[in-house]
Amino acid sequence: MNIARIPYIFLTLIGVFVLQEALINRINFLVGGFSIYLVFVIAWTLQEEPSNAMLIGFFAGFIADFSPTLESPFGLWTLILTGFCYFLATTVRGNLDPQLSPLQMTLVTASSSAVLLILFIAVGAILGQELSSISILLTEIIGNTLWSLVLAPVYIPVTIKFYKLSLTARER
Amino acid sequence: MTTKRTNRTRLLLVSLLVTSLFLITLDLRGLSIVSSLRTAAQSALTPFQSLSTYMLTPISDFLEDLGGLRTAQSRVAELEKENQELRNTNILNQNVEGELKQLKGVLDLAGKAKYKTVSARVIGKGGTATIGETIIIDKGSGSGITTDMTVISESGLVGVVKSVSNNASIVMLMSDPNFRLGVRVAGSQFMGILSGDGGENYSLQMLSAASDLSVGDVLLSRGSSGDKPFAPGVPVGRVSFVENSLGQLTKRAKVEPYVDFNSLGVVSVVLESVAGDPGDALVPKAPKPAPTVTVFVTPTPNE
Repeated sequence: MNIARIPYIFLTLIGVFVLQEALINRINFLVGGFSIYLVFVIAWTLQEEPSNAMLIGFFAGFIADFSPTLESPFGLWTLILTGFCYFLATTVRGNLDPQLSPLQMTLVTASSSAVLLILFIAVGAILGQELSSISILLTEIIGNTLWSLVLAPVYIPVTIKFYKLSLTARER
Repeated sequence: MTTKRTNRTRLLLVSLLVTSLFLITLDLRGLSIVSSLRTAAQSALTPFQSLSTYMLTPISDFLEDLGGLRTAQSRVAELEKENQELRNTNILNQNVEGELKQLKGVLDLAGKAKYKTVSARVIGKGGTATIGETIIIDKGSGSGITTDMTVISESGLVGVVKSVSNNASIVMLMSDPNFRLGVRVAGSQFMGILSGDGGENYSLQMLSAASDLSVGDVLLSRGSSGDKPFAPGVPVGRVSFVENSLGQLTKRAKVEPYVDFNSLGVVSVVLESVAGDPGDALVPKAPKPAPTVTVFVTPTPNE
């Protein structure tokens, strides 16, 4: 990754994190909640090469671990997002056309956000974190997936715009 | 060339994963720098959360107003009439006001809990990625709040302060699955342990096999040493269902909380319980049943 891109990516991720913590978390969604931060990271990662993707996953996870309301160990989101972003960039993106269609982007982003939440819960449980009841966890995961599908026409174009702004003139 | 690049990518992946595991290990070993990082993040986020509350409130008020637009006209007429009546009553009330002040002073003396509290606004809550049940309030260590202090609302126990920054605090709600609370039954004083399951139901496990429990019993917090994490005598909830299984050593029950966590706007943090345990003084009054009218009919004898 071009070093000049790193501050831009870091600041963008912090901006989205603040948006999530200060605004999105305040909204009462009808079913579950919505994590714009996760879908933003996933949609961005789908544009990147594997080595860049895992670095972005690492930065994103590191920032997500700062969430003050988080009860899981510091570093859990870093671990999960690093591994998952690498997996996305190599396996998922490698098996599809690199220029994903809007429908593919929507489906991959929504399903990936569900998988990420499941991984977070599962690894958290392995590390000894106590869990809510199954029905509440399912509502959160299904709700997040649903809102990721519904709001895809809003956040995917915005993410791609931010991604393109992060590229140097040579990379474009 | 490609193999060399792939190897470099894999090496980077392993390094990043090892770094993540290192961070997790540091946290699990209880290194204080990790928890202070989150506290610092909360301090940085508080102005943004206050700003979003400031921005969102007019929007939600406007949406509520839109919903009530149809009935607004008749409501205005109704309120104007009510306003006139209140003005008339106000003249009478000015005399009564002095008497009420005296009465309030007497009631305060007999006062219920005598808690020293700090009131705060709820400015945020835990999001989807958090899974746990928490809220953020806009008062912190600057107002004398420390961790493990009891948080109450007008109806009863809300939760306990989990972490504190200078101008904000995070409160773990009673509904969090990690929440455990020692309770006693008002009146009988039997003791039990209450736990949340992340939803609206709470489980109660009584400690003694001899404990008697019935639907409608009121539960109060048992209190902790130095009132931390729980001040004594705070109303917690009401028993809604008692399990009557023969195989159980002690009774179990479902509990309905007094507090509605979806409508928390202002809460108070108990700094000190000045008068000690208030006993059962805080038990909420049961609503008075409507009086039953009994009519006796005596038949008139036919002549």
